[in-house]
Amino acid sequence: MTAIAPPGGGKPAAARRFSRRDLTFDKISLMVVFLGVPVACYIIFVVSPFLQAFYYSLTDWSGFTPERHFTGLSNYRKLFTDDIFLHAMRNSITLVIVLPIVTIVLALILASLVTVGGLSHGPVRGLRNSSFYRVVSFFPYVIPAIIIGIMWSQIYDPSNGILNGALTKLGFHRFESYPWLGDESTAMIATMFVIVWGLVGFYMVLFVAAIKGVPSELYDSARIDGAGRFRTAVNVTIPLIRDNIQTAYIYMGILALDAFVYMDVLNPGGGPNNSTLVMSQRLFTTAFTKGQFGYACAMGVVLAVITRLFSAVVFLVNRLTGGTNDVAE
Amino acid sequence: MDIQKKPLPRRNLLRGALGAAVLLPLGGTLASCAGGGSSNTSSGAKGTVTSTNPFGMADKSTVDAVIFDGGYGVDYTKFAANIVAKAHSGSSVKVSPATQLAQSLQPRFVGGNPPDVIDDSGAGNIGISTILAQLEDLTDVIDAKNYEGQTIRDTLYPGVLAPGTFDNKLAAVNYVLTVYGLWYSASLFETNGWTVPKTWNDMLALGAEAKGKGKYLFCWGKEAASYYLTLAISSAIKEGGNDVRLALDNLKAGCWSLTPVQDVLNGMKKVIDAGYIKPGGSGTQFTAAQAQWSNAEQAILYPSGSWIENEMKTQTKAGFTMTGAPEPTVSASSTFPYTSLHSAAAEAYIVPSQGKNVAGGKEFLRAMLSHDAAANFAKSILSSTIVKGTVPADGFGSTALVSQTKLLSDAGSNVYTWGFDAYYGMNTDMLVLWNTFLAGKSDVATLTSGMQGLSDKIRNDSSIKKITVT
Repeated sequence: MTAIAPPGGGKPAAARRFSRRDLTFDKISLMVVFLGVPVACYIIFVVSPFLQAFYYSLTDWSGFTPERHFTGLSNYRKLFTDDIFLHAMRNSITLVIVLPIVTIVLALILASLVTVGGLSHGPVRGLRNSSFYRVVSFFPYVIPAIIIGIMWSQIYDPSNGILNGALTKLGFHRFESYPWLGDESTAMIATMFVIVWGLVGFYMVLFVAAIKGVPSELYDSARIDGAGRFRTAVNVTIPLIRDNIQTAYIYMGILALDAFVYMDVLNPGGGPNNSTLVMSQRLFTTAFTKGQFGYACAMGVVLAVITRLFSAVVFLVNRLTGGTNDVAE
Repeated sequence: MDIQKKPLPRRNLLRGALGAAVLLPLGGTLASCAGGGSSNTSSGAKGTVTSTNPFGMADKSTVDAVIFDGGYGVDYTKFAANIVAKAHSGSSVKVSPATQLAQSLQPRFVGGNPPDVIDDSGAGNIGISTILAQLEDLTDVIDAKNYEGQTIRDTLYPGVLAPGTFDNKLAAVNYVLTVYGLWYSASLFETNGWTVPKTWNDMLALGAEAKGKGKYLFCWGKEAASYYLTLAISSAIKEGGNDVRLALDNLKAGCWSLTPVQDVLNGMKKVIDAGYIKPGGSGTQFTAAQAQWSNAEQAILYPSGSWIENEMKTQTKAGFTMTGAPEPTVSASSTFPYTSLHSAAAEAYIVPSQGKNVAGGKEFLRAMLSHDAAANFAKSILSSTIVKGTVPADGFGSTALVSQTKLLSDAGSNVYTWGFDAYYGMNTDMLVLWNTFLAGKSDVATLTSGMQGLSDKIRNDSSIKKITVT
């Protein structure tokens, strides 16, 4: 990016670029419409609320009064000694580590199966009826998150749920009235399963599209060289669609850091011993039930910082392992 | 022009843009500070004060009422709105239903144009503590005469104003009378020759009998584990009297270690350890759990408020004859008698001081508290308001409503309530501890230290305004 202007030639070039004659009405209107308006929107609707939230986080604002008092960093000090918030933060971090890996690995496997995992002779193709599987696995993504949550909370119901019903029918009597979402050891795993179930179809379709963009000769030649399906996936597919994987990773990570809808439907109170409480839930309760908007804003700022850190780490890892730094958005 | 000589200083431009981005919102904030911080006095045009218009509502004015649209709907408020419109021709009450009160009204409070009257209820309500200073004292409403000419204060059940009184200010009139107790099926108890336990030891005995019939004593749902907290507190107050109530409500150090409280918790723990509580509650949605009691009859007792009949209307077994009984004491020599009652009122009606028509908001409340409006509520919702004498002896055919009236008359003036859990928004944090306790996964000591920890955290947080209860 940092192109050094050739000595002597820089000035006239620059002068030419910005000469008055070139600032035609067309150019100016183009700049206003395609640059000015988006930047204004961005500043008004994205940057300013952000800064405003940061300002509020330094006050004791209750959220319902016009006046607020500046309290400096005391909200942040309170935050890092608040055991429940720290618990929620740990839960969010667990989610951000586990969810993207599980979802993306699963989605990659499924995508490989329906695109290049088919018969090992003839042209490279997916499993038989792969278009059917592709549609079916996309189904959950079509259902709104809130419905998925309600559906699964019925499935997990200890007394009348289909899961315990099936398990007890199969002879596992210890699952009679077993509270999947109400037991500390299973609540988080059961919740993660629901999120993965709901989203894996989307990432599969994303990866299918990416794999379709890879020239099929590459797969042909890999096969002629004797690469099996696993080898093909690891050495051909992944390196060629790594930008898509990175994008997916970041999207999934941001979703995992939020996860509000799933968590709040499945366990509105934060789960047994707060085992499924996430930061966004805590933020919501603090703001609207406890009337501590200033404190809630501090939580929001911490959440934003963690999200930034997460994307930075993903970029860094991708950079260090030799990828480009573009995200195909 | 200079511009032809120099390339556009990109960095400066960016810096400028960033600076503007920083300054703009700050400017907005300052402006909103200046705009919002207007006077705190009652605003709006005033009419003349007469005996039929005690608050001086302006002629031909509109009252902006935002009503929580929950289990009771909003039709009963429209009935009261018509009463106002009839009494003051030309004036009207605009009833707007809402469900998430805090979210939808927050901007209006900040902007200084809140509605004239609000039914601040439901899970998404505005915590009274956060807006207390911005609310009207409603004592003048209670001391006014109702539409039938009686002083409103004299028409109310005892203790119903307590939940709306904060630091001697009546900030909210809670409209619906709520009686807390143990609810059961009178027909089921009769068939089996059971009686409602009066102490925690009786409770164990009944639990054993129920187990013999393949039933549990209690069941619970994850969002409603706190009903057992309510039961525990109420039982401890009966045992230990006002000392216990005031210690808990004022977040006193060591309040959860008081003997009556510990006795109740230990009594409960015995019931839990004996396996008399249906397992799996921490993963069950609360209305599903309640149906296990009212429809499947897998559990025989359920601690709740009197809203339970209305809530489970469609999921109650035919011939269930739902009846309420007082919550148990620890011993026969409790400070308050067994028949004393945890009774409060719910559906908090508030009037913000900055509303455009404060007098109109109060006039609407006066109409709500009139005998006609209260009788209409009782008849259509099958529940009593805080206004006495609106439920006939047959309770409109509802056994629960009849038992509610009986509980109230048995209790006489021995009526108590508390509010610290709702006032400080502690419910979410408490639920967690209680779900674990009811599931048998924590002992009394863990629960005690957990509850004490929550109390202490609020007491020691100087940014939270405390309420002193007397």
